[in-house]
Amino acid sequence: MTRQHAIDAALAHFDDPEGFFEDLKARIAVPTESQNPARLPDCYAYLEEDMRPAFEAMGYACRVYDNPFDGCGPVLLAHRDEGADLTVLGYGHGDTVLGQEGQWKDNLDPWTLMKLGDKVYGRGTADNKAQHSAHLAALKAVLDARENLGFNHKFIIETGEENGSKGLKELVAREKDAFAADCYFASDGPRFDVAKPNLTLGNRGAFNFDLVLDLRAGGHHSGNWGGLLANPGIILASALATVIDVKGRILVPALLPPPITDTVKNLLTDVTRETSAGGPAIDDDWGEPGLSRAEKVYAWNTFEILAMKTGNPDNPVHAIPPKAVAHCQLRFVVGTDWENIVPNLQAHLDEQGFGMVKVQPSTGGNAAFFHAARTPPDHPWAKWVRAAVERTTGEACRMVPNSGGSICNDVFQDVLGIPFVWLPLSYTGCSQHAPNEHILWSLTREGLELVTGVYWDLGDPETAYRLERNAA
Amino acid sequence: MTRDAVIESLEHYFDDGGFWDDLARRVAIKSCSQDAPFRPELYRYLNDEITPYLADLGFESEIFENPQEGGQPILVARRHEGDDLPTLMTYGHGDVVRGYDDQWRDGIEPWEMKKEGDRWYGRGTADNKGQHTINLAALKACMDARGGKLGYNVVALIETGEETGSPGLREFCRQNKDLFKADVFIASDGPRLNAERPTVYFGSRGVFNFTMSLDLRDGGHHSGNWGGLLANPGVILAHAISTIVDAKGKILLDDLKPDPISNSVRQAISKLKVGGMEGDPEIDPDWGEPGLTPEEKVFGWNTFEILAFKTGNPDNPVNAVPPKAFAKCHMRFVAGFDPQVVLPAVRKHLDGLGFNNVELTPDREYMAATRLEPDQPWAKWAIDSLTVSAGEEIAVLPNLGGSLPNDCFAHILGLPTIWVPHSYPACSQHAPNEHILESVSRSALRLMGGLFWDLGETDRLPLQ
Repeated sequence: MTRQHAIDAALAHFDDPEGFFEDLKARIAVPTESQNPARLPDCYAYLEEDMRPAFEAMGYACRVYDNPFDGCGPVLLAHRDEGADLTVLGYGHGDTVLGQEGQWKDNLDPWTLMKLGDKVYGRGTADNKAQHSAHLAALKAVLDARENLGFNHKFIIETGEENGSKGLKELVAREKDAFAADCYFASDGPRFDVAKPNLTLGNRGAFNFDLVLDLRAGGHHSGNWGGLLANPGIILASALATVIDVKGRILVPALLPPPITDTVKNLLTDVTRETSAGGPAIDDDWGEPGLSRAEKVYAWNTFEILAMKTGNPDNPVHAIPPKAVAHCQLRFVVGTDWENIVPNLQAHLDEQGFGMVKVQPSTGGNAAFFHAARTPPDHPWAKWVRAAVERTTGEACRMVPNSGGSICNDVFQDVLGIPFVWLPLSYTGCSQHAPNEHILWSLTREGLELVTGVYWDLGDPETAYRLERNAA
Repeated sequence: MTRDAVIESLEHYFDDGGFWDDLARRVAIKSCSQDAPFRPELYRYLNDEITPYLADLGFESEIFENPQEGGQPILVARRHEGDDLPTLMTYGHGDVVRGYDDQWRDGIEPWEMKKEGDRWYGRGTADNKGQHTINLAALKACMDARGGKLGYNVVALIETGEETGSPGLREFCRQNKDLFKADVFIASDGPRLNAERPTVYFGSRGVFNFTMSLDLRDGGHHSGNWGGLLANPGVILAHAISTIVDAKGKILLDDLKPDPISNSVRQAISKLKVGGMEGDPEIDPDWGEPGLTPEEKVFGWNTFEILAFKTGNPDNPVNAVPPKAFAKCHMRFVAGFDPQVVLPAVRKHLDGLGFNNVELTPDREYMAATRLEPDQPWAKWAIDSLTVSAGEEIAVLPNLGGSLPNDCFAHILGLPTIWVPHSYPACSQHAPNEHILESVSRSALRLMGGLFWDLGETDRLPLQ
């Protein structure tokens, strides 16, 4: 059996109407919203009733850990020990953001996998169920073809990623031996160019915080009190205008990263960001002036108002609202002073005369806090994975220093101390985190091919990644 | 019977629970005009409650469909005593704002009147059921005292669309001017200057609502994958707002400001004092137009408010760049200011700053501002009558800070308009926990008894 046999077998499973589609359909049908506490049993069900049997069938020993934090999602660790020198760690997350039922086009049900042309819709398709499903299918194809992997493999499926991976770091630190590995390879997020694969070597961090202005207990008639009572919506609008300018440039120096390094600049010279069919038009006059599109997303920080509310927007009444809240987010790259975002922003507001606006870490279901992380672009593991991908595609594979989005790389970077490389299998127009989330069927098929190639090469003595190279 | 006896009979009516019963019955009718499903309740209020009550007083009532499509029914009730007698026009609105049932404090609710100390809670107690209940009861007491006669004719208009901006009311008045031939207009709505101070006002600030919206694209996009590449509509709209009104509530566009306050109005306002009473919110002295007194800000100037703002999913925020944002904007303005200048001025201003993609849409018919000079004969007559009943100097407002469809009566029907408000500023009108004060309601019955009695002393009226 050869590399190509394994890939062909993986693709045959993919193309079988009873194959990959049905596997994914069953997984999408479990509403694993980690931002909704009522879905915790669904998260357990996803791990115990789908992931565990799938891994055990491939000879993995599985253990499902309760989350160290009450009410947070469990974590599955699957381990196939072949007594090899090399242990590779994989990862996926079984949870999703909220379904946003009723907001999907044509009233599509987020929990029913639906193929319309090349697009396959469903909550969690892109993020992350189709991606880890591709890994499972690839592993099965390699095992069927070779009867062993040729390396030791551990695979994490967590169910709290959309909730900031709360508890994962603590769990891995506590069970460090169980999770220990030499290097890390997994899939999440989008490739930057829908037409070509790329590797991603890290992630932007994310920190969510609220700007809250709570002036008084209730609303007051805008005629009787208009002119006498400060309006929190007006004040908050003005306060936000001092934090970010009208073209999206961050105005608070403490929220910015250090200057972009030459290494990162070089990596990004041949990285472009184009919108894809159905994707949003890019606003080139938005964000930090002078940066390329790629630099804005992969090498700079962004400030967003994710949501803001004052009064009763859906049923406004003639009253001065008592309170205004802006749910904000900073995405940041390595080197940003993330530990002091709250005090630094509060100091800025105080200085601008907006001391009544309070900065607080978010407490909602989306209360993300991810560290920024990055594997050095010249690390042997990064180069090895790139070569493995190139063996399938026959052409150069680009690398980005980190994703624009955020994930729990700090667990691998800081707790396990291993290099991590991602091969994203989605694309930027996938409406991840919004209604109409979908994957491209053709792209997922290509991804399965690439992942199968990587797992094959890892266990093939001709191509295997050797740790001593790393040591050298 | 005498003036004093009328007032005394109204005190009995109040103390014996008659007023409670009448008002509790009216509050229990969920006559919300802001939600279509409640529409039958508007008819119920007019048919089952007001019509029979007025029939007992010898009124003939007719319910008219609103001339504007989707508008609410209007009741006109007439009581005719003689062609040579003067005619009073009065007004009330039977509709209320939404209940917001789940937002009321524990133990109280919108549709069942509850008493706690001096406070009577219920939707519409202050706005406006309590107020027209007082006035109708005062008319009844005067009639009983004069042996079944008032000494004047009455035409009453009870609309049920005030809380949606009184759609069709102007058209209705224009079309039916003959129904409303009268000598004077006396009605009640809105708050007193403060709970202790009997108040009369002769007009109102106007109101104009519009929406600023920014719709950049379909759907939200992941804030990590797209953050930095996609303009954020919340950020842009916040900036647009901050160029119209500053962080201290000062209106930044000259076109949105009124003419300077005249000396006569300034003088009337100088005798007033707003806020500072128990239950009042704390006034923000630094808010609004610099250099004006708090009273001048409310009674003599324009205000710009953000009533509501929304971008993204505020109740369940997700990590996505939101596609759109909107702000519900609101202006109150004084007599002399033309609200039709607002949208063109804001449009020009926003375009000049590059906010071309922020859309402006008027939300509904505006209400014009009105004002009657306090030295007009009918104004003086009312001030004198109310002062006698109150036994103290009353507050005289050139106009109310809030808004009323008073232009219908003052401009279209050409009547001298006298408003005697029975609520108080901290009544939580338009919000959860709406209430009236028992003490104010009792005093209001006395004032209205005296006023409607005096209107029957025909030889003392400033009739033209």
